[in-house]
Amino acid sequence: MDHGLYEWSVLPDRPRLVWPDEARLAVGVVVQLASADEDVTPGLRAASLLGGLGKRPHPDVPLLAHRAYGHRVGVFRLLDALEQYGVPATVAMDVATATRYPFLVDHVLDRGATIVAAGRSAVDLVSEQAAEEVERAYIADTLDALERLTGTRPRGWYGPEYSESTRTPRLLAEAGVGYTLNWVNDDQPYRMTDGLVALPPTYELDDANALLQRKVTISTYGRMLTDSFDVLYRESSDSGRLYLLHLRPWITGQPFRIGQVERALAHVAAHREVWRASTDDMVQAFLQPA
Amino acid sequence: MGYHAERVRYSPIVQRPPVRWPGGARVAVWVAPNVEHTEYLPPPNEHMDPWPRTPHPDVREYGFHDYGNRVAFWRLLKVLDRHGIRATVSLNVGVLDHFPEITQAMVERDWDYMLHGVFNTRYLYGATADEERAFYQDCIATVQKHTGKTPKGMLGPAITGTVRTPDLMAEAGLIYHADWIHDDQPVPLEVSGDRRMISIPYSYELNDGPLLKANVDGAEWAEMCKAQFDRLYREGARTGMVMPFSVHPFRIAQPARIDYFESVLEHIRRHDDVWLTTGDEIAQYYLDHHYDEAVAHLAEMARYTSGRRHAG
Repeated sequence: MDHGLYEWSVLPDRPRLVWPDEARLAVGVVVQLASADEDVTPGLRAASLLGGLGKRPHPDVPLLAHRAYGHRVGVFRLLDALEQYGVPATVAMDVATATRYPFLVDHVLDRGATIVAAGRSAVDLVSEQAAEEVERAYIADTLDALERLTGTRPRGWYGPEYSESTRTPRLLAEAGVGYTLNWVNDDQPYRMTDGLVALPPTYELDDANALLQRKVTISTYGRMLTDSFDVLYRESSDSGRLYLLHLRPWITGQPFRIGQVERALAHVAAHREVWRASTDDMVQAFLQPA
Repeated sequence: MGYHAERVRYSPIVQRPPVRWPGGARVAVWVAPNVEHTEYLPPPNEHMDPWPRTPHPDVREYGFHDYGNRVAFWRLLKVLDRHGIRATVSLNVGVLDHFPEITQAMVERDWDYMLHGVFNTRYLYGATADEERAFYQDCIATVQKHTGKTPKGMLGPAITGTVRTPDLMAEAGLIYHADWIHDDQPVPLEVSGDRRMISIPYSYELNDGPLLKANVDGAEWAEMCKAQFDRLYREGARTGMVMPFSVHPFRIAQPARIDYFESVLEHIRRHDDVWLTTGDEIAQYYLDHHYDEAVAHLAEMARYTSGRRHAG
């Protein structure tokens, strides 16, 4: 191991993971509601953002507008799909969204969504270049603002663009965060050294990775979603597994893509012994098995 | 958000007053061929180089684009004629001066003209207010001179613009801007004075330009377009939607792709309750029937506060 963030373990050697009601597979969907601010938080690096027509000079209307589509239109398609197939929504929300879109805060809470902290804005890249005090303040400010704006202090964390420094897991644990979605290296949750739980989404199924970076076609993406589920379901006969999708309303909430998500969720819903849950509930169940 | 939030007030599609298209149509479909000319020796622009591959000229890129006007435009025309589609040409207005045969074909068919710069190798980035004002006057006058029609909207030249663009477009008498891919319905844009300006839906993701540069060709493009239409058609039962076709003859009207384009038109035309129209007509209809209601709704949304959630 080249770091001490967690104890090394290979999946086949672990004790059996038991989900509530003896479910084989825990299924969740993280809907990312993040805003593409033009100004980066002082002390952090600017993320290179996908969307629009690639990086353009100011005013970069294609990129800003493409991402705004998610908040205006796409998010409702995704939330409807989750509701239709009984998957509790987890919303990774940044402070910029919670500040500027009070309607969306109420809307997702009215639907019973769990909110995970997603930093201040999508453009903020947390990295080793950030001073420790800058990062500590960034985490605290994010949690404080989201608590004030949503009424609840988030238990989970997602660093914009999965970004971290070597200090992040410790600083998150010190700030009282319970779990992180940044680590995409497993099909089960696991404990990190500082007390944090890592709850890994499947990065290959992340819509930005699959659809915008790798540019897989919509039908291939739909097949990836169900193939992935089928293999995890098969493997989960001996020990529980996790199927956690990370989707962005401005990508998978587009009219030509939403059908693939719906088909995958219908496929999930047609299986028994599947536990559809929020990320908060998954971590709770992982830490305190019934 | 920054610039987007300055120009566009928030309105979630689920809260808006429903849009009703003529005849109760669920989806307004508009076909926008981008008829462009890319110069052999473009003037330098410090913000963007059209041919970064090589010092200019780049005859490979020039030739690939020129194929559009020499061959592919005419192939596309046959398909549009066969389906009785009056297009909204996204036009580099320099085409009117350079290629009279294309001008004549468009005039004969009474197409609508959406400004799209002079050449696709000239950008608005870095333009002063006066330069941009003169640009609109020149583009509008050129279209009027050759076609007798007055353009109503613009897709920015190669999707470029300045922070003043919507204001100066409105000042020049235009009513719609297609660069904003933020919605499936027209929405008001904030502009200076008491002028009215809207965005209408356009697409870069279903656009054949970026698309066919990716891991997608005719068959997959058609599948995406049909999926887009089917979803909008379903949702359009509640509130009217807009489906743009943003295509480039030199891409979509290649021999390997033209039949896929036609298959999408056939799919759409098999449905009732579709308003096959132009960008100009969508924009004008929205302004006449929905704009005021939309502005009132935006004012209401701006007062929205999440009172019961604030803990401290």
